[in-house]
Amino acid sequence: MFSVKPMKPTFKSYLPPVQTDVKKTFEPPIKKLEPKLLQGEIVVNEVNFVRKCISAESSQDDLWGKLICTNFKVSFIPQDASSKQKSQLSHLLLGDHDIPLTCLEQVVTVNDTKGKKKVLGSNQKLKFNPTELILYCKDLRIIRFCFGEAGPEGAKKVCLAIAHYSHPADLQLLFGFEYQGRRYHESKGERVNGSTPREGLRTPIFDRPSDLDREIKRTGASEWRVCSVNEGFAISQSLPEYIVVPVSLADEDLKKYSVFFTDQRIPLWCWNHPNGSALVRMAVISDPLQQRRIDQKVFTAITKSHPQRSEVLRSDLDKCLPNIQDIQSGFVKVRQICVIDHFEESDERWFSSIENSRWLEYVRAFLKHSAEIVYQLDGKNASVILQEEEDRDLNCVVSSLVQLMLDPHYRSLVGFQSLVQKEWVMAGHRFLDRCTTLKKNDKEESPLFLLFLDCVSQMMSQYPAAFEFTESYLTVLSDSMWIPLFSTFLFNSSKQQAKHLMDFAKNKAIPHGEDQVVYFPPVWDWSQQFSPKDQTLFNNPMYVGKGAACVQNGEVKTFRRTKKAYSHTLRGMPASLRNGTKVGEDTLTRRGSLLSELRSDFSPVKDESPSERFFRDWFSRPADQQGLLIPLLVPSHLALWKLYFLRWVPEACIPKGGPITAYRKLSQLVDEIEILQNRLRQYKGRGPGNGPLPSPSGPLSDQRRMYFKASSPHDPPSPSDVLTSSFPFSPTGNLCRGGSHGTPISKFLNGARIWLSTETLNDTV
Amino acid sequence: MEKSGSIDSLGSKRSSSRQPSVDSLSSTSTSRSDRSAQAKAASAMSCDSGATPTELSPELRVKPKTAAKQVPRDSDKEEPQLLPNETVHDMAQDVTYFCPFIGAMRGTVTVTNYRLFFRCMDREPSFVLDLPLGVVSRVEKIGSASSRGDVSYGLVCKDMRNLRFAHKQLEDTLRKSIFEVLVKFAFPVSNGLQIFACEYGQVFPENGWKVYDAVSEYKRQGIPNESWRVTKVNDHYEVCDTYPSTLAVPVNIPDEELKRVAAFRAKGRIPVLSWIHPESQATVTRCSQPMVGVNGKRSKEDEKYLQAIMDANAQSHKLFIFDARPSVNAAANKMKGGGYESEDAYQNAELVFLDIHNIHVMRESLRKLKDVVYPNIEDSHWLSNLESTHWLEHIKLILAGALRIADKVESGKTSVVVHCSDGWDRTGQLTSLAMLMLDAHYRTIRGFEVLLEKEWLSFGHRFQLRVGHGDKNHTDADRSPVFIQFIDCVWQLTRQFPAAFEFNENFLVTILDHLYSCLFGTFLCNSEQQRLKEEIPKRTVSLWSYINSQLEDFTNPLYVNYTNHVLFPVVSLRHLELWVGYYIRWNPRMRPQEPVHQRYKELLAKRAELQKRVDDLQREVTNRSASSSERAGSPTRSITPVQTFV
Repeated sequence: MFSVKPMKPTFKSYLPPVQTDVKKTFEPPIKKLEPKLLQGEIVVNEVNFVRKCISAESSQDDLWGKLICTNFKVSFIPQDASSKQKSQLSHLLLGDHDIPLTCLEQVVTVNDTKGKKKVLGSNQKLKFNPTELILYCKDLRIIRFCFGEAGPEGAKKVCLAIAHYSHPADLQLLFGFEYQGRRYHESKGERVNGSTPREGLRTPIFDRPSDLDREIKRTGASEWRVCSVNEGFAISQSLPEYIVVPVSLADEDLKKYSVFFTDQRIPLWCWNHPNGSALVRMAVISDPLQQRRIDQKVFTAITKSHPQRSEVLRSDLDKCLPNIQDIQSGFVKVRQICVIDHFEESDERWFSSIENSRWLEYVRAFLKHSAEIVYQLDGKNASVILQEEEDRDLNCVVSSLVQLMLDPHYRSLVGFQSLVQKEWVMAGHRFLDRCTTLKKNDKEESPLFLLFLDCVSQMMSQYPAAFEFTESYLTVLSDSMWIPLFSTFLFNSSKQQAKHLMDFAKNKAIPHGEDQVVYFPPVWDWSQQFSPKDQTLFNNPMYVGKGAACVQNGEVKTFRRTKKAYSHTLRGMPASLRNGTKVGEDTLTRRGSLLSELRSDFSPVKDESPSERFFRDWFSRPADQQGLLIPLLVPSHLALWKLYFLRWVPEACIPKGGPITAYRKLSQLVDEIEILQNRLRQYKGRGPGNGPLPSPSGPLSDQRRMYFKASSPHDPPSPSDVLTSSFPFSPTGNLCRGGSHGTPISKFLNGARIWLSTETLNDTV
Repeated sequence: MEKSGSIDSLGSKRSSSRQPSVDSLSSTSTSRSDRSAQAKAASAMSCDSGATPTELSPELRVKPKTAAKQVPRDSDKEEPQLLPNETVHDMAQDVTYFCPFIGAMRGTVTVTNYRLFFRCMDREPSFVLDLPLGVVSRVEKIGSASSRGDVSYGLVCKDMRNLRFAHKQLEDTLRKSIFEVLVKFAFPVSNGLQIFACEYGQVFPENGWKVYDAVSEYKRQGIPNESWRVTKVNDHYEVCDTYPSTLAVPVNIPDEELKRVAAFRAKGRIPVLSWIHPESQATVTRCSQPMVGVNGKRSKEDEKYLQAIMDANAQSHKLFIFDARPSVNAAANKMKGGGYESEDAYQNAELVFLDIHNIHVMRESLRKLKDVVYPNIEDSHWLSNLESTHWLEHIKLILAGALRIADKVESGKTSVVVHCSDGWDRTGQLTSLAMLMLDAHYRTIRGFEVLLEKEWLSFGHRFQLRVGHGDKNHTDADRSPVFIQFIDCVWQLTRQFPAAFEFNENFLVTILDHLYSCLFGTFLCNSEQQRLKEEIPKRTVSLWSYINSQLEDFTNPLYVNYTNHVLFPVVSLRHLELWVGYYIRWNPRMRPQEPVHQRYKELLAKRAELQKRVDDLQREVTNRSASSSERAGSPTRSITPVQTFV
């Protein structure tokens, strides 16, 4: 029969291979397999002679080593250190074979010979000796270990430990609290006289009035003010301490009204359009009797804050968007199709399966609704209130998407991070519940943040030069949700965060008044996870290359609120606002013409709504990358986010292909441009005729912003073997679910496949 | 300060000479701004949208780069700018065009011997529809005269769109309606007229008919060598009238024996070399089905011949025969005298069926696809509607077959024989795709032209029959989108390997547009013999003349030339997409994605400018230090330019 070896290197070199023979003959001394532990990390249990399955077809590529469970992660240490599995992105806190315990979705033990399997929860018993352990991860990896040669008792103990520690009952038991405490004290010396991390961070946290003030100034929201009525969480448990409200509303009024809102969540300002329209989010008014009255007060106040006193529109997201359970079930289905189902078999009905999962439909629904809000703000010049029962889920997605479409600042890296911080973290998205980091009710679980990232990735693929960051960044950000070391995704609200971090500071003897960002940093300090070189993978060459003027930082000065930057907004204005302009005249002359007569008779587009007209107008003009961006919402233009959903699937990995090959070429070009710019700067810096000429390379190299560096003309253009469609991730080591190369090869497989194909993650024994 | 100024000037701003509305024109996802320089090839197929005449009129001129500036706005004219030897045959005013996207509009229709040209002046910018008549598959009167006295016509086009026009009933019944004139010129073959390609007199700097020369292509592959020779046995197309005159065959099979092999292969299409691996000598050979018949006829010569093909490759003692058809179809062919190689008769050969369906299934699939995408895409059930057309499934099977062939040759070092029934449809798809995966040369623009000339044109893919140039018989069962399917597969490869191809999407769309346009002679006739007889190279212009005269428009700036780089695509529906830039390009609201390529060009320009400024400064510094020669101790280091190859 026809068969192909998986992942066979396809690049042929006419040169003899270098040095590999030397390596082969070199026998590594038998070494102890020691895990790399972080500060405060301890080994809970371990077992030796474990086989990590690399390919489902044969065991010849499998790795032998030690499986360890610590209080932070599941770690596998291969015997052969020069293991093939090398991720391009090396995590500073996690090895290639490590999985944080909080990243485990399900722990499955199997006894092949007895034909048994069991999904292990914490504090459970296991009546058989496992021969295999399969770990389903929240980042969509599936890792399989075989215990054939390992001691049965040892194997069992490790399995039980992994299951037990993966879902702690209490937040303070998460390893982050141990780790950050130690790290704080140990790195204290380094911090003296240094700049504070908060300055280095650049991303505003929005836990201080000054961050909000800056945002108000940046967007020109002069009729809005920072309000500290919730200081000490005096009125609402889930709102941040500082919020922005209409100038016309006094603190006393807000206090009065707050009792009528769910969780006392009074309206929260999100953003201001240059035309004066505001985007506001709020919970529903729980008392129906008060609804009209409170509504009116709120509406009046928002209207007053609009320079043209424009109308205020309300969008009830609960009524028009899928709810969190829908989204969760869509995600479960799409995950099943992408990473769990047998590769070949699921390919047969791939499109209809994806459609049936409804995930893309939901992505589209959120983008579409956000675009409608954009029309109201930009096209109708109206302020908009996003309303949702609790104002903590759907509102987060929509408000951040709307701002992403309207405001180029949020498409910069720092801007995007501030958006997440403002609309998700501070606004009280229940990250802890939605991620189910703790052992709790599964009904709370819903991947809203991932849905948002997926929406962003759709925008990115339609406007590849409009975002400062890359798909890799979005993916890495999503993975960070499962690493319990950063404050960003650990809490349900800023109150909960404040409380836990206060207790934490007390327990760890951290001085009172120390900045939270210092002792329990958010994810935004990427140097915690990645080297500066690896962080350059976040930089989009098409954006960076554009010239740095608008990129440098998210500070006041760069948000150019000039007419130019927002000129596009004029287009969208209703015709009434454009009287006397060309467009107005145009419609006048056309009235009574043959065309208009025919139009009413025949035109299939005669029922065009104002918003459809707005979108049609917008799409008929070239997009300004630094202006309003509306995604194309035709179903044919939205596609599965492949990097995220398929990166761990070996069969779906395109060797030496994928978008990264284009990214590489672009990066190299941008790197050349940066080198030239630097050289020019050096020339200019030198006075006339003094000093030697600058060296072409020199100290610049480590400041370079591109991951792929310019090559010199003398380098042969050799294809980089590491480039695949999964880059910077590597699916090697993740479980295969079918033939390689996507060819309809023999229905292979041993034990693993039988239950893999029938397995669903919800299936418990 | 200065720096940022220059950056801005190189930024994303678009040339001010362009009218904004032009952007809605872009029908492919190649860059929008590119388009102004694209010599309006794509405009041969300009889509339904507003367009300034400067964008459309200077069609198919070489490098009309400055056209936008120099050509005066001729929006007042109602006629198209004519090509050499194009003549206006009729004109009618007050014709209504029912645009499915914009609505009905009234304007003037001009019919020439090459195109239908509609312009509506009531709009700003004026609306233009410019349609080569070759694209028209069918013209029909819709219904009888309506109550308003209008006569309505529907045009079904080969390029995934339908058009509808209406005009008032003519009072003078003797006068022919413009659509009757149109029918005459849309189907010249049926009306005893010449195809426009034979009249088109444009002269290009390069002669595209010289792109392919069989002997030099075999030479590039290292043929003749000790195992393979080039034969002229088919010089007068006597052995096989659908094959080229130059063939490469195993050295130890004399010409006389070839003739006997021909007797056993359908239409005399004997196994001949398509490609040879430069190192392993494993080969891709193509042929038609063996004439086995119900009785299981055998041919010693054929068996020996296949053995010779196997023996020519010392690396493997096996031969793979890839039969493109589903096994059921292959078996059914026995009833008609055909069939497939039995493994008894062909020792050491392994037969594999690739399950690719026939031309009728493909035609039906594309028809369904058109229903799903034109004129509008439904908001719901898009993916399942797409699935129900099976179009991408067929694409997948073809790519999977080609991948298996490429993998056998590359990884297995084994020679393969590829055939279907006649060996001019599926076989050509498979061999050319496998060659594209195996040989980086075919991924260059000129290499791809050679590939088409060789595997498709010279080996007798029946373009005339499959496309039906100038023929009104739109129901002809011989019509089939086999070639479109192939180009679609190529596009899928370019999606998976965006840096591996020298050409861009515009190149592929242009090829397909001129597959129908009948402007060039390239895709006329069914075989090399016919083209020679009809003197096509003498009487027409080659599409490659046009393309190679402005390569810039068809070049992928992200191209990296890796030699010896075999492509193994992932043949899974997960990575196959509908080719939006071709199938869904008529709707002006389907704005293509922001082009990466455009961005890249801007960056290139920026780099060039920076490099120049660095060089200038360098020169200045050098001069200065030369004048003050007391610093002899420190010779100026010359700065090597940063990489400038593209």
